[in-house]
Amino acid sequence: MALLQISEPGKSTMPHEHRRVIGIDLGTTNSLVASVVSGSPTILNINDNSNLLPSIVHYSKDSVLVGNDAKNLLSKDPKNTISSAKRLIGKRISDINQDHFSLNLADGDGVINIKTSIGMKNPIEVSAEILKTLKSVAEKNLGGELMGAVVTVPAYFDDAQRQATKDACELAGLNVLRLINEPTAAAVAYGLDKKSMGHFVVFDLGGGTFDVSILNLSKGLFEVLATHGDANLGGDDFDQAIVNFLNDKYQFKVKDIEVQTFLSILAREIKESLSTKNEVVIEKKISDIEIKETFTQEQFKILVQGLIERTLKATKSALIDAQLNNDQIDGIIMVGGSTRMPCIQESVKNLFKKELLNDLNPDEVVALGAATQANILAGNGEEDLLLLDVTPLSLGIETMGSIVERIIPRNTTLPVAMAQEFTTYKDGQTAMIIHVVQGERELVDDCRSLAKFTLKKIPPMVAGAAKIKVTFQVDTDGLLSVSAEETTTNAKASIEVKPSYGLSEDKIKTMLQSSFDLAEEDKNSRMLAETKIEAIQLIELTQKALDTDNDLLSESEFNSIKKDLDALIDSIKSSNNDKIKEANKKLNAQSESFAAKRMDRSIQKALTGKSINKLEF
Amino acid sequence: MTQNYFELFNLPEKFQIDLEMLQENYRAIQKEIHPDRFATSSGNERVQSMIKSTQANDGYQTLKSPIKRAKYILSLHKSVERITLPPDFLMQQMEWEEHFEAIEKNSSELTEFKSTINKKYEEYSLLISTQIDHDHNWSDAAISIDKLYFIEKLLHKINNALS
Repeated sequence: MALLQISEPGKSTMPHEHRRVIGIDLGTTNSLVASVVSGSPTILNINDNSNLLPSIVHYSKDSVLVGNDAKNLLSKDPKNTISSAKRLIGKRISDINQDHFSLNLADGDGVINIKTSIGMKNPIEVSAEILKTLKSVAEKNLGGELMGAVVTVPAYFDDAQRQATKDACELAGLNVLRLINEPTAAAVAYGLDKKSMGHFVVFDLGGGTFDVSILNLSKGLFEVLATHGDANLGGDDFDQAIVNFLNDKYQFKVKDIEVQTFLSILAREIKESLSTKNEVVIEKKISDIEIKETFTQEQFKILVQGLIERTLKATKSALIDAQLNNDQIDGIIMVGGSTRMPCIQESVKNLFKKELLNDLNPDEVVALGAATQANILAGNGEEDLLLLDVTPLSLGIETMGSIVERIIPRNTTLPVAMAQEFTTYKDGQTAMIIHVVQGERELVDDCRSLAKFTLKKIPPMVAGAAKIKVTFQVDTDGLLSVSAEETTTNAKASIEVKPSYGLSEDKIKTMLQSSFDLAEEDKNSRMLAETKIEAIQLIELTQKALDTDNDLLSESEFNSIKKDLDALIDSIKSSNNDKIKEANKKLNAQSESFAAKRMDRSIQKALTGKSINKLEF
Repeated sequence: MTQNYFELFNLPEKFQIDLEMLQENYRAIQKEIHPDRFATSSGNERVQSMIKSTQANDGYQTLKSPIKRAKYILSLHKSVERITLPPDFLMQQMEWEEHFEAIEKNSSELTEFKSTINKKYEEYSLLISTQIDHDHNWSDAAISIDKLYFIEKLLHKINNALS
């Protein structure tokens, strides 16, 4: 590793380096990785033939295969070949219908376990294998270690699914700059490519998920107005509709995993052929049963009518939430391989009475947008663009009678913090269970349970006298944290939790350690390098801040910060990880109020700058 | 720095505000201080931008909605107390509810009803603006806000039935 350079204090900071960052579309069926190369977002090739990595992992005693190599084993070794892990991630066994999976699934303490010949695997580990492959593809393509990645998730993913996806990234050794929503990423790719402005609908039907988002695009700002969707609806279901039809007509054994896997593959072929042809003729023998069938476009449409209706209903709901009518929409962006189906295109076109935007490859557009956003976040790009996204689902807590009290309504712009007061039910009550749920239904049982924790040490009072303030906070990744405190007495009972879904931080750490077979020495030098980079960033930023905004500080404040800054610069020379960390922490603490003042100044500047512009007009 | 939302967005503390200016200033602030602008910054700056950006979002939602805006102005001037609506309005409320249930399935009558209720909405908005911006009569304004809140909910129900 090259030696890190440090400029002399007070002198100009290091010239800004181009940071190696990527965008990842972690799909149900296929995954892609992209990066901004010489100013334009580019899909990176997985191998010579393709830039799509099938999201399939095969486990055996000798190897873990990812992508096409695993796909080839799908019908030969279905029990050890895991596809569509995205449909399982962040879920519990009770959330799914096991008949829809040709895998051996089991309950694994909050996560779903998949039984393979080499032991239990969970969807987070499977996803991490796919991410690792994408990471190494990117490092090979871009010629070095990555600074970070923007990873996309379905807009309609709940908190558990987002957190699990982030865990998978960590397990794969990726630094997540941001999780962003797939339709939003697509809008970035389209909006910047076409310089579009106005109200846009992004209709995103992937392999296993469906999202619809409504955005307002203006110069430098993409605002999500509303999002809706179905995290259990995608191309797979269209295949399944054909499989069901064949099962009914030809009486295949529904429990025979091999036959069903074969039928699934056949169904997908039929569906894909119907995207370019009006008619497909099938003559095939599966387990002694002869299939002779002619599928027409019309017939297919009848089989999947119910699925199409579900996408249209969600689209209409999103319009209502955005308070817009069909005729106020300036463009419809079609995303996801499943939007290639003519019956989908026709239905969406009919709903809006408008031509669709589908000239960017629907498989690639999400990854391209993610790469652009990664570039912006890393500060590489010239592009001036800010994304404002929303919470897809309402968040609340359980109250008496298993009724949900909403704290943050769906489609609230992020980041958000909202609080509500609750009280005790019984005289002398000293503890309270806070049960956090997500969803739109009134009853707790109909919503997704995210976390349950107990607030203790409430001072005993008569029923209804205690005031428990519960605060929900959702960050720009769409991830929730919850805190609760009793506010009437000085004795503050409070607790803060991030919901956890099966994988504890400790467990991730153990999995991380076993997945990187790094020698102890390597690990230490890697850790030191990371600490140094972090310190250098802070030094640069602090120097710059002191240069431009020193008038916000009194002389003694300035000197205190300068002293800690110098100490941090000194500590780097020591190459002592703990010492650098300590100095870093100290400088951070010392400059906290300085950072707040600078933020206020930015706000003032943003507004005054604008009113001056106005005067000129 | 503690500032109220009107100060944050550089607007006069009034019920009648320039909504376009609010939106413009909100966007200008977010472009400057949103956490995405600090993705690679120090811990302090990330935390501060998160706090400010959250405030800007809450402030924007508060000032954008007439009812939330009115309630917010009241909260700056008087302590919140429980309000009982006058009996004549309660009667009116029941009448409207009954009428709505009777015509729920009839879209032409619903449309007509919607325009009546819309007029009421405008009427009370105007009244609130006089009570707050001109008379500074916080107690009367509090009652009008509660009425407007009911009217807004009814409009929402009508719109849902229509779509």
